[in-house]
Amino acid sequence: MGCASSLPGRSSGRLTGLNNAENSGVPDAKNLRVKLVLLGDSGVGKSCIVLRFVRGQFDPTSKVTVGASFLSQTIALQDSTTVKFEIWDTAGQERYAALAPLYYRGAGVAVIVYDITSPESFTKAQYWVKELQKHGSPDIVMALVGNKADLHENREVPVQDGIDYAEKNGMFFIETSAKTADNINQLFEEIAKRLPRPSSS
Amino acid sequence: MENADVFLGLQDFLERMRQPTAADFVKSIKSFIVSFSNNAPDPERDSAAVQAFLANMEAAFRAHPLWAGCSEEELDSAGEGLEKYVMTKLFTRVFASLPDDVKHDEQLSEKMALIQQFVRPENLDIKPAFQNETSWLLAQKELQKINMYKAPRDKLVCILNCCKVINNLLLNASLASNENPPGADEFLPVLIYVTIKANPPQLHSNLLYIQRYRRQSRLVAEAAYFFTNMLSAESFISSIDAKALSIEETEFEKNMEFARALLSGLSTDVDGLSSQIDQIAGHDPRESTESGHENLMEDHSVRPKSSETKPSNKENQSSITKIPSISELENRGAAMLLKEDQRSKVFRDYPYLFAHAGDLTISDVEDLLNNYKQLVFKYICLLKGSGGGSATFPSSGSLAQVHHHVETVKESAENRVLEQNIGLQKDTDTVDDGPNRVSNQENIESDFSKDEVVPPSKDNHDDTSE
Repeated sequence: MGCASSLPGRSSGRLTGLNNAENSGVPDAKNLRVKLVLLGDSGVGKSCIVLRFVRGQFDPTSKVTVGASFLSQTIALQDSTTVKFEIWDTAGQERYAALAPLYYRGAGVAVIVYDITSPESFTKAQYWVKELQKHGSPDIVMALVGNKADLHENREVPVQDGIDYAEKNGMFFIETSAKTADNINQLFEEIAKRLPRPSSS
Repeated sequence: MENADVFLGLQDFLERMRQPTAADFVKSIKSFIVSFSNNAPDPERDSAAVQAFLANMEAAFRAHPLWAGCSEEELDSAGEGLEKYVMTKLFTRVFASLPDDVKHDEQLSEKMALIQQFVRPENLDIKPAFQNETSWLLAQKELQKINMYKAPRDKLVCILNCCKVINNLLLNASLASNENPPGADEFLPVLIYVTIKANPPQLHSNLLYIQRYRRQSRLVAEAAYFFTNMLSAESFISSIDAKALSIEETEFEKNMEFARALLSGLSTDVDGLSSQIDQIAGHDPRESTESGHENLMEDHSVRPKSSETKPSNKENQSSITKIPSISELENRGAAMLLKEDQRSKVFRDYPYLFAHAGDLTISDVEDLLNNYKQLVFKYICLLKGSGGGSATFPSSGSLAQVHHHVETVKESAENRVLEQNIGLQKDTDTVDDGPNRVSNQENIESDFSKDEVVPPSKDNHDDTSE
């Protein structure tokens, strides 16, 4: 016996429609919800970027109630749509690299972060790009982020390298500083603009 | 706390189900549960059936007058109540129901038992500033509660609570040390470390169960993130090798070997060990099984003239439960040993300990060697555990201390009634470790199956057996 047929008759006609709509938090054309996964070497400042974005501050001594490994933040765009980012941080150490697919599965956005003072982290970023191209969902929006732009006197990865690599791979590129908040909001706004919109029915 | 909310949710749900207008719902739920038990377990199909049923029922609740004018929270709580009710009923059918899963659980648990003996926070890239093994025990405890619940949500809450504890500790540590706020770079390694140390029961089956039967629309956002971390911890642990811990291959193998030896020493059938000790002490092992294994350890190995105590075995057995158990002492000692850098030096006095069977010539040499190793480990652990610093084999002041303690306790426990009570208490404690039990020490033990929680009515059984 199918379970649907054993349901009270009066409600069975409305099941499917109600099941998808209404449930709070389920996205519609005006209110998007997207899973964003952060990838990048440990120490490039992934969690600082998120904290800056979510709390608008860098102060590491500020009281927060949970860790920065999962955070969500909603932004409003000019076309009066809102985008709720659910931001999934990943552990960047080499020994955990094999676990990344568990995290980027189902992600609509991947933000790949490197540190402009560390060529190794840029190499690692390229590794993640290739991995996502191979195993990520095909319509994932990817952004390449060179963080710690405030440390320009220690810069070892030229801006042009980032621009070139991103262009070649059809990615959005930006340099940020979680410390000074430079370009942090821009990063997320640009991503929001690039999200595929559900076709309005 | 969160579990209490769900409890209220279930109460509220059951209340509504008692309304006459809910009769159709009750019928649907019952027939679903019944229809479920007609088929052999098939995780994919079962999971899909449960998910679809829950979704349909939730939608039906929403449209039903019983919930007319209710808030989203109330509807949500009804959904939680339904999930909890259905899954509690289906639990035994769908949890760890496949032999493969059971096997996976066992292998994973064994692996964690071994790795936890030697893994260090540094092996997982946990920075010193974030290391806090004592406080991590709190997180371990949350994880170890996972089998106390049957509902997928309650099990998930155990994981989420564990993650919360870790997050809070990391945050405090970052504030204290001026480190950057902790992200996944800090969180995941600690979660893995905590999981290995906690070795939560049936971890693989629990995760599969949550994944399959937690209502999918509720396994989202933060809960989904931390659940994914737990899955990823499991995956990492399952495939741990030398490289994953940045340990030299040979060093890793040595550690595993040491852990294996240590564990086999700790968990060996205690009767077997007792007989070895008896042999050393010059007693016939067969005789000795009459008494409880704990007093065997004390009577026959610690006390030189053990046979004299035979008539008082029963009293002795009850009294011994008052001092730290042998296994507690062992564990304590083992932990101390593992922290010592010079553990190989400690064992230098036992030439056969690291010998290979091929080094020796007699035919049953292997057996002998195994027994010897177990014995030495036990001894060292006991010595360490009882506070003795020196690890010289037969003579030991600390063992004498234990002996002394036993004597004192024994004498103070002269009252027969009191003894019985202690004996009963002890019986309750050991009811779960069936294999280690000595069957004729208390007749009443046979009245209880291994997996049964001993009911308070136990006294009656005892009376009849006396």
